[in-house]
Amino acid sequence: MSARDIINSAREKNRSLLEPEAYALLAAYDIPVLDYRLATSSEEARKMAGEVDFPVVMKVVSPDIIHKSDSGGVKLNISDEESAGRAFEDILENVSEAVPKAAIEGVLIAPMVTGGIEVIMGMVRDPQFGPAVMFGLGGIFVEVLKDVVFEIAPVSREEAESMIKSIKGYPLLAGARGSRPCHIESLIDIVTGISRLSLELPEIEEIDLNPVLATPERSFVLDARLLL
Amino acid sequence: MSDNKQELRDLNLLFNARSVAIVGASTNPEKLGYEILNNLINMGYEGPIYPINPKADEILGLKAYPSLSDVGRPIDLIGVIIPGKFAPGVIEEAGKLGVKGAVVISGGFREIGNDDLESALVDAARLGGVGIIGPNCQGINYPANKLCISWPLIKQAGGLALISQSGTIAAALADRAEKEGIGISGLVALGNRCDIDESDLINFFGADPSTDVIAVYLEGIRDGEKFMEVGRRVAREKPVVVLKGGRTERGRKAAESHTRSIAGRGEIFDAALRKIGFEKVESIDALYDCAKVLAVEKKRPGRRVQVITSSGGSGIVAVDVLEELGLDVAPLSKGASARLTEVFPSHCVVGNPLDLTGDTPAERYKEAVLALAEEEPEIDLYLLIFGDPIPRATENCLELKKAIDRPIIACYIGGGEVEEVEFKKLNENKVPTFPTPERTARAARSILTG
Repeated sequence: MSARDIINSAREKNRSLLEPEAYALLAAYDIPVLDYRLATSSEEARKMAGEVDFPVVMKVVSPDIIHKSDSGGVKLNISDEESAGRAFEDILENVSEAVPKAAIEGVLIAPMVTGGIEVIMGMVRDPQFGPAVMFGLGGIFVEVLKDVVFEIAPVSREEAESMIKSIKGYPLLAGARGSRPCHIESLIDIVTGISRLSLELPEIEEIDLNPVLATPERSFVLDARLLL
Repeated sequence: MSDNKQELRDLNLLFNARSVAIVGASTNPEKLGYEILNNLINMGYEGPIYPINPKADEILGLKAYPSLSDVGRPIDLIGVIIPGKFAPGVIEEAGKLGVKGAVVISGGFREIGNDDLESALVDAARLGGVGIIGPNCQGINYPANKLCISWPLIKQAGGLALISQSGTIAAALADRAEKEGIGISGLVALGNRCDIDESDLINFFGADPSTDVIAVYLEGIRDGEKFMEVGRRVAREKPVVVLKGGRTERGRKAAESHTRSIAGRGEIFDAALRKIGFEKVESIDALYDCAKVLAVEKKRPGRRVQVITSSGGSGIVAVDVLEELGLDVAPLSKGASARLTEVFPSHCVVGNPLDLTGDTPAERYKEAVLALAEEEPEIDLYLLIFGDPIPRATENCLELKKAIDRPIIACYIGGGEVEEVEFKKLNENKVPTFPTPERTARAARSILTG
């Protein structure tokens, strides 16, 4: 499905994008996402978990659930096929109990990645100035310190680079205290990708890529919300 | 993006109007319609002025007319100071007579929820091709054409253009500019800006030859796309300083994303200003000070500031603020210290700040800067604090301005009657001078970009 098809189909159903749709759309703009699968049965879950690398993370996919963890819709660190099948059943049970009328499209399976530095990126469409792209450090840096920066689209590579370098926490990305520096070029790719996507797809009102994991070799999106 | 896209307006005919009618001119000195006519006359406006008032034959020595149509001669611009409900009719009449612009000072429109009356005003303006400033505004002042349809009367011409959604803020800054001997190139109070908006005015003053710097007070933008377009063009020509009052609107969506909730505090507006290349400031003082210094000094790379003072305390406060703002108040080299120690009396404290102490004549500032210009070429800016009654500060600063190629800005504080004279003289002569060390330090920050 093209980016356009994904948006049209979601609009027909009068909902925002589901996580797998969000990933497909991001991938269409060269924004790196993890190798993910959507399982619709515990059988599939077992098989698909084996296709991506163990350990895996499993997350419920439902238009009715915004806070997946709170409703028991997330299982981390699944290390074999049998656990994957069990996790599928658990997730369905938890979610049906927490939100009885939730429509469940399946369970998303992706490799469980650790290490690296969590950053947050996003976009909000301003009624006056159009898409404003955000970059910041994740976790407490965004929650408590609001260490983020905005730039109005279109965002050039140079502007993306100065955004990244302008936040107070930049030394952490640049390799503070002897750690290896993160791959800044790939972060720039994502910022400019968000900018392009936002300009070309005016239906997308807001984007949250939270977190994006930055490592010394590459960066990729671990969770995404795209609101229409 | 906003769907209320506004066309860019040509305001030359409005500001350079060759004839003006004041609709609602009054014989009663208590009324605004009297004060505005009086100000226009006292401004020395050179074209014909037509007071419009059906109940008077003559006002302030000028023949009055019952209506615009009765004037019988061309009218370029009108000032409107009548009850709001009559304004659309006047604009309609003006349109038929070929009037180019109207400054509608009258209130009673959208600001009190009377949206229909404002729509009627806009319709009349569009129909007749009349450009409207206002309504509900404090008017305009354009010294190049000796045109003042506003209050208070500010006559002194200078390089500062003021565009403001608040009439009081515009008037207060214009008043300050006159008192300090800087003057203005223009003042526009936007009011409800039903027609001509901030972007039209930034565009006009951007091309206006007498304007060196544009200071803008806004609470919101009428058309973001137009603002960005005009802004990016004008920012290449001259500095534009913006103070934004009020917080941005809350997101319209009930389901807020993380990004939206973080963005709700003016960050997007700030990002837009940065993208355009406008200066953002946080206070009325900073709006004035930043505009004042950028009217005289171009922005330049660099961080290093040398403070020279007669007051120890003021010097320390300046250093604190400079450092907090990320500028570098580096100590003097051994060579420079040795040279100054040799030349200056032993009670002077050689360093950065260089404290010449309270008995210093103005000449010592000049000697110090000239010596440092040779010994310390890395200094990017000199911040001089005259913290006592020190006469001849202006003469010495002007000689320095000729002799060296670094910006010189000053603080004059605690100088009594001498300060009153020197403060104005320094500013008149384009040595940007401020009343406190903090404000002087902030002005330094607006020049140095590195």
